Amino acid sequence: MAEKAILFDSSKCTACRGCQVACKQWNENDEEIPTVENGVQSKNWGSYENPPDLSPTTWLKIEFREVERKGGVDWLFTRRACMHCTDAACVRVCPNGSLYHHELGFVAYNKDTCTGCGYCIDACPFDVPRSDRNLLTGSAKMDKCTLCTTPGLDRIAEGWQPMCVKTCPPKALKFGDRSTLVSEGTQRVNTLKSKGYSNAYLYGANELGGLHVLYVLDDSPEAYGLPADPQVSGSTIAWQNIIQPLGWALGGLTLLGLGLNYLVARQTKVDQEQPVKKED
Amino acid sequence: MAQEVERYRKPTRILHWVHSGAFVVLFLTGLILFIPGLSILAQDSITRIIHRLAVVLFVAAPLIYIPMNFKSTMRGIKEAFTWGSGDMEWLRAAPRYYFLNDEEAMPPQGHMNTGQKLWWLMVLVLGAVFFITGLIMWAFKEAAPGALLEWMVLLHDVAFIAAGCMFFVHIYLSVIHPLMKGSLNSMTKGKVSAEYAKSHHGKWYREIS
Repeated sequence: MAEKAILFDSSKCTACRGCQVACKQWNENDEEIPTVENGVQSKNWGSYENPPDLSPTTWLKIEFREVERKGGVDWLFTRRACMHCTDAACVRVCPNGSLYHHELGFVAYNKDTCTGCGYCIDACPFDVPRSDRNLLTGSAKMDKCTLCTTPGLDRIAEGWQPMCVKTCPPKALKFGDRSTLVSEGTQRVNTLKSKGYSNAYLYGANELGGLHVLYVLDDSPEAYGLPADPQVSGSTIAWQNIIQPLGWALGGLTLLGLGLNYLVARQTKVDQEQPVKKED
Repeated sequence: MAQEVERYRKPTRILHWVHSGAFVVLFLTGLILFIPGLSILAQDSITRIIHRLAVVLFVAAPLIYIPMNFKSTMRGIKEAFTWGSGDMEWLRAAPRYYFLNDEEAMPPQGHMNTGQKLWWLMVLVLGAVFFITGLIMWAFKEAAPGALLEWMVLLHDVAFIAAGCMFFVHIYLSVIHPLMKGSLNSMTKGKVSAEYAKSHHGKWYREIS
């Protein structure tokens, strides 16, 4: 099946945050009444941005940035949610395959089998997965954007658009075949460039093997708070590709060696005891 | 009755069994991360909680033991880090000894033979690695940077693999090996026969007799 994606056009986003609300509503992610206790600060923290961060029940938020350029101040809006990478660090590092690639290319997960180890939280180059961790017992469950493929709430399987896309008033969000959106995004970037946005860039076309959330940016990724060159770290790759196989190999060889030793040593014992038996 | 010599005092034996019991629980609950098919056991963090309960025992046992048995602790630690040319000879002679029961090239051993000493050294060093990396992952999961936590996981797992392999060897040699009888007694009853001490730990036997 053709891979699907979301195209976010930052130059069209008005930061109405309708997508945030729609996301919460569809995915039944009620945030409790804001208090400091459940991690959501209710006091003014100097920004219209709200809530302050992603959380297990906030899978999507729009970030606000003030940037000085062309002699004035511009307000840049960035969509923060799972990027659904092709080369996904979280999928690489998940010990039991709870995180996996959906057939349409998204990064989906099975919350029932999630052990709460939190390796994905440490590995994600975009700092997206979240969990509420009991610091004493360590019990936790990871949550993040599923691109509306959560079992039971699967809009994509119904042929519908993701909730954030469906609700976006200025049509800054689009959903469709990834290849179509890449060419649409490239076109839009070229338009922006011709209008004088010389740093305009289509983010996600090639990053990490291709993201399934593409960003039309009218400035550099850094200006939008996105890593210019996101990478899966060496320690992430090592865990699944070196440590786990190494563990199996060394553990297996040890048991094999001991088994071999047992057979030989038992034979040795029998051989050495035989003369004694003959004397009887 | 055959003459017997004491090898491990009672507090040491209690520490050994409490500590090894905790280790087995820690080992099995950790092993689940290497066997995806068993991940159903880890669901809802059940094994994570068991792992934490076991580690309390694993850390508390030596912490209680050390101040009560300070002299023997120091002696034991010194023993683990005392290595000489005899140890190289032992390593060379070990394969013929453990496969063919050929003792000829075996140098007389002290209180611990080289293999036991190697395991004991690993218990000390890997125990520290487990403790430090585990503590960071437990207590600083929210506060520490992700890259550091990833390295802690890696080190914890390298220690796990090394300790796990040596743990198999340890159990095998003390309980299963067809030619090695008597060493288990030293940890259960605390004593071994003088005959055993003479043949397996000649240097040590001369020191104590």
